[in-house]
Amino acid sequence: MVPLSWYLIFAAALFSIGLFGVLSRRNAVAILLGIELMLNSVNINLAAFWRYGDVRLMAGQVFAIIVFAVAAAEVAVGLALVISVYRSRRTVVADEIDMMKW
Amino acid sequence: MNFISTHLLSTILFFPAIAALVMLFLPKEETKLHKWYALAASLVPFVLSLVVWFNFDPSQPGYQFEEMYTWYTAIGSSLHLGVDGLSLSMVLLTTLLTPIAILASFSINDRTKAYMILFLFLETGMLGVFMAIDLLIFFVFWEIGLVPMYFLINQWGSANRNYASLKFMIYTMGGSLGLLLAVQLLGVLFKTYDLQTITAQWSAYTAPIGGISASTFKAIAFWAFVIAFAVKVPLWPFHTWLPDAHTEAPTAGSMILAGVLLKLGAYGFLRLVLPLYPAEAKYFAGALAFLAVAAIVFGAFGSYAQTDFKRLVAYSSVNHMGFVVLGIAAAAFAAGTDDARIALNGAILQMFNHGLSAAGMFFLVGVIYERTHTRNLEEFGGLFPLVPVYGGILIFTSMASLGLPGLNGFISEFLVVRGSFGVGVNSVPVMAIYTAVAMLGLLFTGAYILKGIKKVLHGPMNEHWVHGEHKLTEINAREIIVMVPLMVLILWIGLYPSWILNVINKAVVMLF
Amino acid sequence: MTTETLIWLIPLPPVLAFFLIVLFTNKSKALSHTIGVGAAALSFIGSMVVFVRALGVEHLGEHPFESAINWIPTGSTWFRIGVLIDPLGAAVLFFVAITIFMIFLYSVGYHNYGQPAGDHDVKGLPPHGATIEEHGHKHVVPSVEPMYSRFFAFLGLFAFGMYTLVVSDNLLTLFVGWEIMGLCSYLLIGFWYGKPSARDAAVKAFMTTRIGDVFMLLGIAFLYSATGTLTFREIFTEETLRALASTPAWFGMTASGLIALLLFIGTVGKSAQWPLHVWLPDAMEGPTPVSAMIHAATMVSAGVYAVLRMFPLLTADYGEHGLTVTMSIVAFIGAFTALFAATIAVAQNDIKRVLAYSTISQLGYMIAALGIGAYVAAAFHLITHAFFKALLFLGSGSVIHGMEHGVLHTGNHHVDPQDMFNMGGLRKKMPITFWTFLIGGFALSGFPLVTAGFWSKDEILADAFGHGHMAVFVTLAIAAFLTAFYTMRQITLTFLGEPRTEEAKHAQETPWTMTTPLIVLSVFAVTYGWVGIPEHFPLLGGLIPNWFHDFVGHTLAEVPETPEFSWIPLLTSLVVALGGLTLGWLYYRNVKSVSEDKFQIPLLKNKYYFDEAYNFLFVKPAYWFAENVVYKFLDKGVIDGILHAFGPSTQGFGSALRNYFDLPVINRAIGDGSAEITYWFGGKLRGIQTGRVQQYLVLALVTFIVIGAALFFFVLA
Repeated sequence: MVPLSWYLIFAAALFSIGLFGVLSRRNAVAILLGIELMLNSVNINLAAFWRYGDVRLMAGQVFAIIVFAVAAAEVAVGLALVISVYRSRRTVVADEIDMMKW
Repeated sequence: MNFISTHLLSTILFFPAIAALVMLFLPKEETKLHKWYALAASLVPFVLSLVVWFNFDPSQPGYQFEEMYTWYTAIGSSLHLGVDGLSLSMVLLTTLLTPIAILASFSINDRTKAYMILFLFLETGMLGVFMAIDLLIFFVFWEIGLVPMYFLINQWGSANRNYASLKFMIYTMGGSLGLLLAVQLLGVLFKTYDLQTITAQWSAYTAPIGGISASTFKAIAFWAFVIAFAVKVPLWPFHTWLPDAHTEAPTAGSMILAGVLLKLGAYGFLRLVLPLYPAEAKYFAGALAFLAVAAIVFGAFGSYAQTDFKRLVAYSSVNHMGFVVLGIAAAAFAAGTDDARIALNGAILQMFNHGLSAAGMFFLVGVIYERTHTRNLEEFGGLFPLVPVYGGILIFTSMASLGLPGLNGFISEFLVVRGSFGVGVNSVPVMAIYTAVAMLGLLFTGAYILKGIKKVLHGPMNEHWVHGEHKLTEINAREIIVMVPLMVLILWIGLYPSWILNVINKAVVMLF
Repeated sequence: MTTETLIWLIPLPPVLAFFLIVLFTNKSKALSHTIGVGAAALSFIGSMVVFVRALGVEHLGEHPFESAINWIPTGSTWFRIGVLIDPLGAAVLFFVAITIFMIFLYSVGYHNYGQPAGDHDVKGLPPHGATIEEHGHKHVVPSVEPMYSRFFAFLGLFAFGMYTLVVSDNLLTLFVGWEIMGLCSYLLIGFWYGKPSARDAAVKAFMTTRIGDVFMLLGIAFLYSATGTLTFREIFTEETLRALASTPAWFGMTASGLIALLLFIGTVGKSAQWPLHVWLPDAMEGPTPVSAMIHAATMVSAGVYAVLRMFPLLTADYGEHGLTVTMSIVAFIGAFTALFAATIAVAQNDIKRVLAYSTISQLGYMIAALGIGAYVAAAFHLITHAFFKALLFLGSGSVIHGMEHGVLHTGNHHVDPQDMFNMGGLRKKMPITFWTFLIGGFALSGFPLVTAGFWSKDEILADAFGHGHMAVFVTLAIAAFLTAFYTMRQITLTFLGEPRTEEAKHAQETPWTMTTPLIVLSVFAVTYGWVGIPEHFPLLGGLIPNWFHDFVGHTLAEVPETPEFSWIPLLTSLVVALGGLTLGWLYYRNVKSVSEDKFQIPLLKNKYYFDEAYNFLFVKPAYWFAENVVYKFLDKGVIDGILHAFGPSTQGFGSALRNYFDLPVINRAIGDGSAEITYWFGGKLRGIQTGRVQQYLVLALVTFIVIGAALFFFVLA
């Protein structure tokens, strides 16, 4: 059986890719995609820990499902925001959306 | 039904307040609805207090219809309600006058919702003072009553209302600061605010407090109580807020102010000062009597000097309430004698009577003010032929205020005079002199009442009010309905006082 | 019905009439006067039944009709009120009932019932007459009083007050009736309130009597405090009186003396004795029936009645040492007033004012009699006087009414129908009025043997003489002379000679409703004297038993003795009465106008300037004191001054706190200082806020890593 650490390394890699995407992409939709990646890396961790821990405890799986729900909600809200910003400012470039400064 | 019968007093007490809260949800524009709703809401406590009155057993000592709810256990205060003959007559007066005052304010069309809500809250405040048997609760309601009154004067008053309302508020609150301290002191000493417990222990208390001897401390606390109540009564020389407040307040506000709020002060003397401080009261009774006589005489003179009709009536309150305090002072001198009891009977009945006649007088001044928009006596004159019904009612009510035998004022003034002169003859001669001097006030009562009638009704007719847009109209049916219960009671007490005096007398015999 | 129940009921019809008229029937004149007169008639019948039953009781003095109920609880006891008819009460009830009934009847005619409404009449002013067309030409007739119904209502209340006073068994309800009458006299004097003089007179009457009343109330309180009761029959027991007489009170008087004096001051006010007499002449502003009612039958008599009631108290410490202080004061005031008022009456020209002063003078007689202990004589004079003075007032009203007729006829409204110098020769025009007025006038003067006034006045003089009070005797004798003189002056000027004005020529006799009371009263003005002829009077004595003395005397525990008969007082009263009448006739039959009257002395004409003096000494200073001292100086100046000083001083304290603490320390140093520091920091740090989300994230990540590393190295490791 594949050892637990493989899953963890895989998840860490996925997380880093996601983080990189979030920090470096200029398109807001791409940033959202990066966030999704990070969330899913967490899900992998959760599933892995459940499988390698006490399988009778369902907490890990339940948490993973909650994360799905959160992710779905977040995408819905996030995309709505992006569309809203696009409508008012005609752009989805993150650097150009800089209203939140002094 | 069972709930109401066991919670009769708290229902009476809180019904107006709850009704006021419900009133918040009424639409703002429905002026008529506000008025009728408020009237109906204030009639409920009246009916219930009649139930209390008829189920009350005057010969049973102590409080009846008692109710007790925990309120603030940490400092030993509880919502303890109850009535005896003394407070019941005042409760009845309050619940009677409130609907009358609300009916009297049907002519108000400006922000009726807020107005009526304040009135209902005011009723709860006043009733609470009369029903409380817990010092802290007493104080809380004492102060609650001020707030609606302040706004009533401040928002619906006449020209000088800001000055008057501020003076009223600051003066009364300032006066009761000492009361608050003294109440706190008693609460700290006895770990409870229950009036009966405190009364039982406080007069026998002799240990020094904070390094000061008990007698000095009691004397100071006595004056703290007295000043708070003296401002409210008002006793000379604390009376100057009253003419201002009365004059500027809206008509119904003056009715309640004179009819009930002043009684709170006198009630405080009877409920707290005399039972808590019998020795001090006796020691300082001379000073109290002096101030009372000053109030009687200067009140009458002050009234005689006025050219403003409403102010004249306002000063008459100083004069009449002076008799209440004179009776109380006489009773303090000779507690336990029949003279003292007669004086107290007179004082309490005078409270009730003044509530009726002063409310009536203020209302009548309001009636003519609404029509003429002036209160200056010099601008009236010879109005009797224009408004015969109004004139008749005015003369009747004035005569009650003057103390004409056959009407209520005479009975109470006679009892006070008899009691205090009796104390003078039988124990403390100085009271005889005070009583004799008070007669001067009684004489000038006649002078100012007749001045009022003469300037308004008699004399050559002022043509200004006869024709055209200024034409004076007769008192209308609603206004007559306001006056009828007052007049009926005035006459009834004047002819056959024992239905109420019996209750008062039994309470007085048991209390003092 | 038992007599006691009946007595309770006597005062009720008039007061019910009052309420009925005020509340319901005031629109209908006929209904109102029917109710009013009917009520008076009911009370009259009730009174007569009581009176007759009282006559039938032997020893009524010891066993009067009485009944009482609990009224006011006073501590452990009750204050009881009730009714009492003893001989004095019965005698007084008799004349009160008759006069009141007559006055009600008279008022119907006096206020022109049945006449048309006036052309320009307004409420609050006397009617001015109405124009009617008859046989093609217009003429002016008297018009009906616009406030006709109201008059009967007030009259009813007044009657209630008087009946209450008479049937009371205690001082308090006596006082209640007393004050109700005071109110009614105020309302009735000010009946024509549109006249400034009437409204001032009304206030004056009320206030002057109230001065007496407050003293009386004090006396009542004193008596009640000292004895614990106000019921007459409980006070007038021997031990109570003795206890009161032996208790020293203030001013070196005994308790009984002081109480009696205080109560007497009430009488001074009510019965218009000097120095509180000033209201009564002014009270003539009221309609004439009012004058008669107030000044003859009821209110002023009530004052004397109260002293009669309190007589045992007044004389409680009366021993062998002559008069007590109180009695001397009473006698002095009475005698002085009798003379003093009589002198003023001589110089008055208003027909009603003469009678008003005459009333004051005659009341002085009674008071003087009481002061010297002549109880029965005073009561006797009270009753005879009530009859003939009511007669005179009603007669004068009839004269005025007749004169007004003349005034309406000529249309000259400048002629005062009350001025006697405008009259003259009315005997032919108004025969009934003349003859009855003559009887009344002769009774007032004490015309010997036939008139009631002679017998009562003679008894007072005889008493004064018999008990050796010479000063009182002489004063009263002079007053009696003056009385006869001014009465004859009045009769001569009014009725005799020739008419002095056109108006007097056209005067007319008044309707039956007015003349009937005159006739009835004139009968009593003559015959009532016969019930009190002294036993030892020459020739006539003993022909009719001295019923009055025997009956009323038994009110007291000890029946007073009649004085020994002496010729001196009898001759004196003969001389003064006949002399005064003769002189008055001789002098005034030749007087044609005011200027010829030598007795128009300014001092007398202006009533010794009492009104002016009182106005200057009391009324104005009182108002000045009230306005300037009490209101403006004390209240507005001192007390409000102190209060208002609180405002600025608090404000001063507050602004000092603000300027020297709040502003520099809290605002500048702490408040603004911290803000400035924060501002500086913010300025420095704002560069890192670019608004780019990704930069923030990088920053967060770096911070997280740095802090995480730091934690790892410094805490965990």
